[in-house]
Amino acid sequence: MTNKSNNGFNTWQKSFEKETKKNFSDAKSETDEGIDIKPVYTRDDLENFSFVENNSLPGQWPYTRGPKASMYTNRPWTIRQYAGFSTAEESNEFYKKNLESGQKGLSVAFDLPTHRGYDSDDDLVMGDVGKAGVAIDTVEDMKILFNNIPLDQMSVSMTMNGAVLPVLASFIVAGEEQGVDKSLLSGTIQNDILKEFMVRNTYIYPPEPSMKIVADIIEFTSKEMPKFNSISISGYHMQEAGADNVLELAYTLADGMEYVRAAMSKGLDVDDFAPRLSFFFAIGTDFFMEIAKLRAARTLWAKIMKNFGAKNERSLILRTHCQTSGVSLTEKDPYNNIIRTSYEALSAILGGTQSLHTNSFDEAIALPTDESARIARNTQLILQNETGVTKTVDPLAGSYFVENLTEELSKKAWDIITEIEELGGMTKAVKAGIPKLKIEESATKKQAKVDSGSRVVVGVNKYKNPKEPSVDVRVIDNNRVRDDQIKKIQAIKKSRDTIAVEKALTNLTNAAKDETNLLIPCIEAIKLRATVGEVSKALEQVYGRHFAKSLSVSGVYGKHFEGDEEFMKVESKIKEFENLNGRRPRVLVVKMGQDGHDRGAKIVATSFADMGFDVDMGPLFQSPKDVAKDAIENDVHAIGVSTLAAGHKTLVPELMKGLKEIDPKSKIIVFVGGIIPEQDYDFLYENNVSAIFGPGSNIIESAEKVIDLISDNLSKE
Amino acid sequence: MELVDKIIKGERAAIAKAITLVESSKDTDQQISRELISELIKKPGKSIRVGFSGPPGVGKSTFIESFGSYLVSQNYKLGILAIDPSSQITGGSILGDKTRMVEISKNPNTFIRSTPSRGTLGGISMGTREASIILDAAGYDFIFIETVGVGQSEIVASNLVDIFTLIVGPGSGDELQGIKKGITEYADIFIVNKNDGELKMEASKTAADYKSALSYYKKLDALEKQVLLVSAIEQTGMEDVIKTINQIIDQNKLKGIFDERRADQLEYWIEEEVKNIIASDITKRLTSKGNIPKYSEKVMKNEMSMYEAVETITKDTLKQ
Ligand code: B12
Ligand SMILES: Nc1nc2c(ncn2[C@@H]2O[C@H](COP(=O)(O)OP(=O)(O)OP(=O)(O)O)[C@@H](O)[C@H]2O)c(=O)[nH]1
Ligand SMILES: [Mg+2]
Repeated sequence: MTNKSNNGFNTWQKSFEKETKKNFSDAKSETDEGIDIKPVYTRDDLENFSFVENNSLPGQWPYTRGPKASMYTNRPWTIRQYAGFSTAEESNEFYKKNLESGQKGLSVAFDLPTHRGYDSDDDLVMGDVGKAGVAIDTVEDMKILFNNIPLDQMSVSMTMNGAVLPVLASFIVAGEEQGVDKSLLSGTIQNDILKEFMVRNTYIYPPEPSMKIVADIIEFTSKEMPKFNSISISGYHMQEAGADNVLELAYTLADGMEYVRAAMSKGLDVDDFAPRLSFFFAIGTDFFMEIAKLRAARTLWAKIMKNFGAKNERSLILRTHCQTSGVSLTEKDPYNNIIRTSYEALSAILGGTQSLHTNSFDEAIALPTDESARIARNTQLILQNETGVTKTVDPLAGSYFVENLTEELSKKAWDIITEIEELGGMTKAVKAGIPKLKIEESATKKQAKVDSGSRVVVGVNKYKNPKEPSVDVRVIDNNRVRDDQIKKIQAIKKSRDTIAVEKALTNLTNAAKDETNLLIPCIEAIKLRATVGEVSKALEQVYGRHFAKSLSVSGVYGKHFEGDEEFMKVESKIKEFENLNGRRPRVLVVKMGQDGHDRGAKIVATSFADMGFDVDMGPLFQSPKDVAKDAIENDVHAIGVSTLAAGHKTLVPELMKGLKEIDPKSKIIVFVGGIIPEQDYDFLYENNVSAIFGPGSNIIESAEKVIDLISDNLSKE
Repeated sequence: MELVDKIIKGERAAIAKAITLVESSKDTDQQISRELISELIKKPGKSIRVGFSGPPGVGKSTFIESFGSYLVSQNYKLGILAIDPSSQITGGSILGDKTRMVEISKNPNTFIRSTPSRGTLGGISMGTREASIILDAAGYDFIFIETVGVGQSEIVASNLVDIFTLIVGPGSGDELQGIKKGITEYADIFIVNKNDGELKMEASKTAADYKSALSYYKKLDALEKQVLLVSAIEQTGMEDVIKTINQIIDQNKLKGIFDERRADQLEYWIEEEVKNIIASDITKRLTSKGNIPKYSEKVMKNEMSMYEAVETITKDTLKQ
């Protein structure tokens, strides 16, 4: 007898309807993923599953309940905080302090020039050195980074994709020169290029050669580095860029399938490398959804790998790192972020993650300070030591709701995966730009929900703190870091065997022309003290540098505001402006330097266009000079600089200079959006910035301010 | 006019402001714009205007980036007018061309202007012709006009340029049947793009289809039509394109076709301007007299026939 037909349920339903004055069948709430959440789940909801198996156990097929039988009861998850800034010296100090305070594994954040394969002395990266991660130019920097950290004992995760070859090579050589053979190195290299083209934007070469590099690394590590994860297939960045959980799940696993195929095309047997594939997911605010996502991911991956013919059980098992969501954290009332992060961390744990990064409360302001990093780490230490969550494996198993949600998510993700496979796989889809566009659409919807107030963000669009606390900020003097790095590069270039280096680089260029595994000649070049930039350029000669073609969604934002008064007010101001000036207000939205955070810029651009602005969208990685040329040639009224990677104090004054150089009488106004610590506001205003829009800015209000500022400026003529 | 001198000196900001004027819908701007263009026309440069049209996504912008890079490397000065197709219900638009012209947009010898098409016929926006006059006076060797090809639009676009190029993709041979008819009338060069990777075979086949279709119409046309294979991404075939452009231009100049075309275009332009003025005048009169609602009501009430109403309104409106 099922529940629904029994009297108990009918009585419950009557009570529910009486209490809520709603029909039970209407009392659903729709998630971002388009899943209807019911107010109650019963045993009935455990039936007709095609993915989840009700009686499975942890460490057993289909691994829904966890990769291991004992999970945290034997050993808790690894506390692995992502960090890196300034020089290798300073980051090394920071790592050592953290390890003393209870952190268990390292996770290196490189700066953007390193990510994109430029040395610190390159003109293109003037504003970016050491700002959003640690600068690594040569193996000497890598050795300093791990000074007094024994690489045979410490597992090291490295977020590196674009410049993966020289960076992994530097890590291997640093180990070797520390006296540790590569076979003893443990850790993970991210090496996931597909999501770079989709959302993370630190690619260097076009998709095909990039995929070849991924496969080279999988091949090399599977043969030479048995304790090292060859890849971290990442959905995390997709969710941070705006993907809902189904998109994150589906695209990540579809990416994974593409990597499996790439590795197999090198002649490897699936079981040779599959046990060393690892994953990385974001954990956002939707508490149960996130738990279900991790359970669904394991379930689906097992099925996928079985289809690939994997025989080794370890090939079927998805192991993952997780990071709490940065985008859920706010600049306003920042101590709320500690609370958000705690819940997200709990979600990751209940979902059964293998390691975890928890964000600091100053996430939307700058890189963490020592103090904020301590609180973030303690969030996990408290979970491990005080709450008892480690004592039972997969405690939510059997929950009608969570099991049902796991199944629902699996189904929805599977449909998307099937669709992508039918289209020819993820590389093709990525090249066509479809996944990126879908993610941007989802991001735009989320923004519209927050701006319209239909989604509450405490302290931002409701329950605002009348007395915003001011917090300390980590300040990085990029000019000093750059000078330090340049000195080091110069010293190395003087002392190394130039002819040997050049020969090694030529070898590498030649190797790129055929099927040679590129890591081998890379290691040779790095050993001889070739720089990360030189190695990247040697490959660039053959592969070229990739420029992404950017597509844009339109109408998604506007649709949310049909009949909205504020929205219509801006629309009519724009119409008025057009009547008065003979054209619409025209705004150039730009990203300068190596900052690849384009979520905000894209959302602002599409929303502004929906309100009636003509929006010029600049490409990524523009120099201030190029922006000035674009702005003047298109005679825009204003430039909106979106800056999140802390380059603003270098790049914005350069832009102002660039404008005046072309047109000393330029009346183009400049406003800035993104991550700007309060401490920098005055500096920007002194440099003639007209307005600053920080995280959490309501776009309609921002648009109104922009049109007013443009009108004011024109009336000054 | 001060602006004229600045344009002739090639001052970027002045050129840009002038284009804004010719694109403006404001009466006073239009007035200034007419004076400006009258002045500039007296001081023509020597630019060759090339139109690039083709269906959305065939790689027009990518081709222009590629071909343009080639030209600027040969020290040509290049002006680009990109009519961005992205028009929206709301009227605002996202102009994304620059994300596809990253390299050339940096070059000091280029001037790139995007314009939202606003759904005007042929994707040619108000002011495109005038903008090319400005760039010509400013000393650009080549002026490229990028438009999306949708039906009629090529004809409008071809009326603005000295040489008109249709860019097509591999596998577009099927569509050829449909557009074959008028094809030789307006396009001088056919470029089959994406001749690379997996698409190579298909691209060659498409080029062959075009060639045979064109040879069929050859008798009707004095000029040899060229079909070229390129890959914008791999930057192949670029020399052929410039060679062909130069060849056709030289040949046309020799035969007097070049000037003839410009004369025809001037006639067309004058005709258009006159029509525009008359049309907007008539529209004003129509609205101010309010005849249409008045007579429409009579038609509704069966007091007169539709055609009687039309005739009466027309007479009344044209009467000075
Ligand atoms: C999402 C995110 C990512 C995503 C980016 C996805 C994408 N395609 O954009 C991913 C995961 C890929 C990522 C990666 C990295 N990130 Co990140 N990321 C964030 C995060 C969490 C949110 C940013 C965001 O998108 N918010 C949502 C959008 C809508 O908001 P927004 O951009 O702020 O825009 C709003 C306003 O600012 C304003 N606005 C913004 N621009 C404009 C423009 C105009 C014209 C107007 C009117 C308004 C306006 O209006 C918008 C609407 O309200 C921030 C922290 C945070 N909470 O802000 C860190 C953060 C920006 N990231 C950071 C870092 C260091 C990185 C990395 C460099 C790490 C590394 N070393 O590898 C990488 C590399 C990325 C790269 N290529 O540059 C740091 C930067 C540190 C600093 N500034 O000092 C931050 C601040 C986190 C931190 N505290 O450490 N990141
Ligand atoms: N394989 C291949 N792809 C190309 C080539 N040229 C362009 N593309 C791709 O085709 C797509 C469209 O290119 P665009 O240059 O934006 O095309 P467009 O015709 O300007 O498009 P609209 O301006 O939107 O009409 C992009 O994804 C390009 O990467 C080429 O030579 N070979
Ligand atoms: Mg285009």
